Amino acid sequence: MLTERQLQISPIVQESVMHNTKTLTTLHNLTASLFGVGAGILGLESYPGFLFYLIFSLITSALVYAFRVRPGFIEESQAQGNSGMGRYFRNSMELWTGGLFEGLSGFVLTWTLFYGLVRA
Amino acid sequence: MTWISKSVTGLGLLFLAHACYSAHEHSALHSTSTAALSSIASHSTTASNVTSLPIDISIETVVAVFVICVGLVLGSPELRPIQWRVWAGKIEREGEKGFMSSDGTVDKDYVGNPFRVLESRPGFIDIRKQRKEFAEWVREGGVAVGAPKS
Repeated sequence: MLTERQLQISPIVQESVMHNTKTLTTLHNLTASLFGVGAGILGLESYPGFLFYLIFSLITSALVYAFRVRPGFIEESQAQGNSGMGRYFRNSMELWTGGLFEGLSGFVLTWTLFYGLVRA
Repeated sequence: MTWISKSVTGLGLLFLAHACYSAHEHSALHSTSTAALSSIASHSTTASNVTSLPIDISIETVVAVFVICVGLVLGSPELRPIQWRVWAGKIEREGEKGFMSSDGTVDKDYVGNPFRVLESRPGFIDIRKQRKEFAEWVREGGVAVGAPKS
């Protein structure tokens, strides 16, 4: 974490932090209900269903990293050395595990719905 | 960019709907056939009615979910740099273009140049020059035009 002194030296734009978090949250909520549809169609039960959700959430985060974080990182590294994830997020766990629990309820909702619809 | 993400998402949704319909038809067919079989053989096989989905429907579902996922990620708005120097540098370099949303309008929370206050402040007042002018005005017998006469 950043200390007070580091924050004074390199300040952080709160609007951008909120914008990034909002973007990630929206994306994870949308994709979580989508994964629920997938899991319901596949007819997964108990642990395999949650494993499905976990794997696809990580894939989503990897796609965000590849399509959204990586281009900016390349642009940055030409200018001034190493920065990577610190350009968009305060720490990298925010990207990889941030949306994991927010989308879980939506996932379970559509999972049960589509399981019931398909298996009816 | 936006039409790419929309078309990819639409294609994925189409695949997903087809997979859903296929799975539903398969389960319906399978349950009726097992019901017929069980009525013939008088075995209760309701426990294992639709545990095995055909492999092509499974693959189609997974591919469809992945494709929609790619489409949604491509359609999500650009992230913004959180460090003040990077962010301000981006505004300086790209202006409004860097903060366009996908449909070509500038985002609502675009604030413009963060150093606008510093750039538009007035310069120093040349107080000596003003004093000289005032002294000349007094020497010329200066009574203000609109000033009340005493």
